[in-house]
Amino acid sequence: MKLILIKSHIKDALVSLQRSWGENTNLPILKNILITTSDEGVLLTTTNLEIATQVFIPGKVIQSGSATTSFTVFSSLISNLHSERLNIDAKNNNIEVKTDNYSATLQGLPSADFPLIPKIKNNNIYIEIKGALLREGLNQTTTATQFSDIRPELASILFDFSLEKITLAATDSFRLAEKIIPNTHFTSLFKDGFRALIPLKTAHEVARIISDQDPVKIYKDEHQILFTTKNISLISRLTEGTFPDYSSVIPQKYTVETVIKKDEFLDALKVTSALGGKAGEVRIQISPEQKAVHVRSSDQAIGENTYTIHAEIKGKGVEVGFNSHYLIEGIKAVESPDVSFVVNQEENKALIRGKGNQSYLYVVASLLKA
Amino acid sequence: MEFEKIWQSVLGEMEVQVSRANFATWLKNSRLVDNRDGVFFIALPNNFAKEWVENKYHKNILGIVRTIDPSVKKIEFMVDGHLVGGIKKSPTKEIASKLENQIGLEFRVDPTTNLNPKYTLASFVVGPSNELSFAAAEAIVQEVGTKYNPFFIYGGVGLGKTHLLQGIGNEIVAHYGGKVRPRYVSSEKFTSDIVWAIRNKRMEDIKKKYRDVDVLIIDDIQFIGGKEKTEEEFFHTFNALYENNKQIIISSDRPPQSIPTLEERLRSRFEGGLITDVGYPEYEMRVAIIRKKLQEMNRALSDQVVDIIAKKVKKNVRELEGIVNKVVFYQDKKGVDVSDRIATEIVDSSIQNFSRHINDTQVIKAVAEFFSMEMIDLVGRSRKKEVVEPRQIAMYLLRDILGVSYPSIGEKFGRDHTTAIHSYEKVNREINKNASLNQKMILIKSLINKS
Repeated sequence: MKLILIKSHIKDALVSLQRSWGENTNLPILKNILITTSDEGVLLTTTNLEIATQVFIPGKVIQSGSATTSFTVFSSLISNLHSERLNIDAKNNNIEVKTDNYSATLQGLPSADFPLIPKIKNNNIYIEIKGALLREGLNQTTTATQFSDIRPELASILFDFSLEKITLAATDSFRLAEKIIPNTHFTSLFKDGFRALIPLKTAHEVARIISDQDPVKIYKDEHQILFTTKNISLISRLTEGTFPDYSSVIPQKYTVETVIKKDEFLDALKVTSALGGKAGEVRIQISPEQKAVHVRSSDQAIGENTYTIHAEIKGKGVEVGFNSHYLIEGIKAVESPDVSFVVNQEENKALIRGKGNQSYLYVVASLLKA
Repeated sequence: MEFEKIWQSVLGEMEVQVSRANFATWLKNSRLVDNRDGVFFIALPNNFAKEWVENKYHKNILGIVRTIDPSVKKIEFMVDGHLVGGIKKSPTKEIASKLENQIGLEFRVDPTTNLNPKYTLASFVVGPSNELSFAAAEAIVQEVGTKYNPFFIYGGVGLGKTHLLQGIGNEIVAHYGGKVRPRYVSSEKFTSDIVWAIRNKRMEDIKKKYRDVDVLIIDDIQFIGGKEKTEEEFFHTFNALYENNKQIIISSDRPPQSIPTLEERLRSRFEGGLITDVGYPEYEMRVAIIRKKLQEMNRALSDQVVDIIAKKVKKNVRELEGIVNKVVFYQDKKGVDVSDRIATEIVDSSIQNFSRHINDTQVIKAVAEFFSMEMIDLVGRSRKKEVVEPRQIAMYLLRDILGVSYPSIGEKFGRDHTTAIHSYEKVNREINKNASLNQKMILIKSLINKS
């Protein structure tokens, strides 16, 4: 294998690839990056047997072939070199990297030992969606859950596709986020709807590597899902299991509804949470008479504070406690400048939405009041 | 031949042909699932494995399979996510629905009552030592605020006071819905609320918080003794609730008259209601508790093992549960049933062993002290009834705690070794039948440990 590559292309590709290689004592080759030539350029691959990412970069292929070498070594070498053009030469499992004034020989493993990247069965049926939209949807929902080995179906994002819309949802059982993307924003060749559970790590990874302008194509079969853009393709296993039916968790009625400026609400929460103790507890008091929302927190050992925000209020006055981090994450995910903050006192929940924007919602359970 | 056997022999051959790393990664968790018209269906844990095995090992596997079963024409590979790590990981429908319930629960936790839903009266094991308390608890649920008010439960550590208290609260919630509002609070929380209110000048909030309930449940009241402001606030709260026929339920580790720091006016109020105690469980009850616990955990232990645990752990239900957990854990981990010998070992290593620090004189002294008599009487010749029982107990304890030999026990008391054997066996027999003897034994042991 003999190649000439442009450094900046490799560097960008390595950023996309850096999270999908893996440590595996059984299979040390997973630490490696696979370089394969194709007609138009070079394909770089890393995998940890859960996710596999492939990035295509343009380059001049003098002699075709393939090789593997340690990802970390290769990547630190590339990022510290200044020359724009790199000559890469593979001989007996070793890779030689040469520039005008630098040369290196890297040990590798036979490329035949590198795992084969699985393929999707129906590779001509896909959903096509704008990168920015998918990324936003994923970011808005991943914020509501966290990694967990005990309940893998909760450490996943629900990708519920029907012909009218795509619903993304996530919950860690303390809060819930749901994003709806109507079919005016994507095109689909699927004839039927499906539900898939995308592992949280995959969702983070997809959101990280897709670019805003490029459209993303999504393919799916029984056990795996594939995201492709012009140059990148990421295939991942799906989480086995059933996502809980969360519709009953979304409050239908409300005790009080307020509309608050997003930035001001965030400021208030950030400031007051400083005195919220370890759990970051803040108490939100909504008083319709004063047309104000008081955000307050107190800690026996530190002190107490109150932040008052003027807001439009409809309904009864209430006081509820929340975990401030959960609130902040939910409010940050809202796109509109004004946040509709709805409290249901009977069910002890708050519902957060953008004002005039029904596509996203975030439900958070209130804290125990001792 | 069964699928499993066929596949085992195929894997055996493959293991020789491919490298250890490749075998462990790709083939180890595979399975032969079906054989239809000469087509073998092989399940692999993920798509990577499927891709790899299909492309690299297809021919080898087919070759090996044909030597075992010449009729095989083809091999099909498929993915079964359940094979991950060799263990069935993915939740079945049943578990999934359970998780859904859990979500509902966590969202539904009621912050106003402060009750933990895991404690219910139904899961409370009733026996002679606590049936009075339990009956009172049930009566209170039926007639809140009027029948036994205040209700005072006392008893040692880990005997189920908190369980009973929370159980009453939960039962009331279940029985009356939202109409009767209970609130459970530990006395420590009560005190810290008062402190907070004093510091922040928000006393009114606290007053309102505690008086605006129908059932106030306070756990471990002995801790408010000596904290004057808290006692005073509690006194007023108590009066306010009591006058309005609100139910008050209190627990403590000793009866009100034995809490020395408690103010007189509070004590007399506690004594005005119903006071019951929760005693140490008898042998049968301990067995029942162990069985209940096992049932909750969905595990089984042999009757002998249950018997060993129930006989050895006498004092504390929590300790009992801990040891059951330990035994069950051992069983799960090793994958074999626990034998009597191992169970004895586990129990012995778990229950505290004080014998290193004490000698025989201390034991005899503690027994004498407990029965308020002189040590001389114990070792004397008298055969009066009131001396005989303590003497037998002393002999039993010497044997039980210190493992002194029968002849030397006999020698200490100026008697034959057969007398010592008789005493030991008699007490050992009695102790599991007679709750009051068991109670005495525990008190004496605690005396010994204190000395």
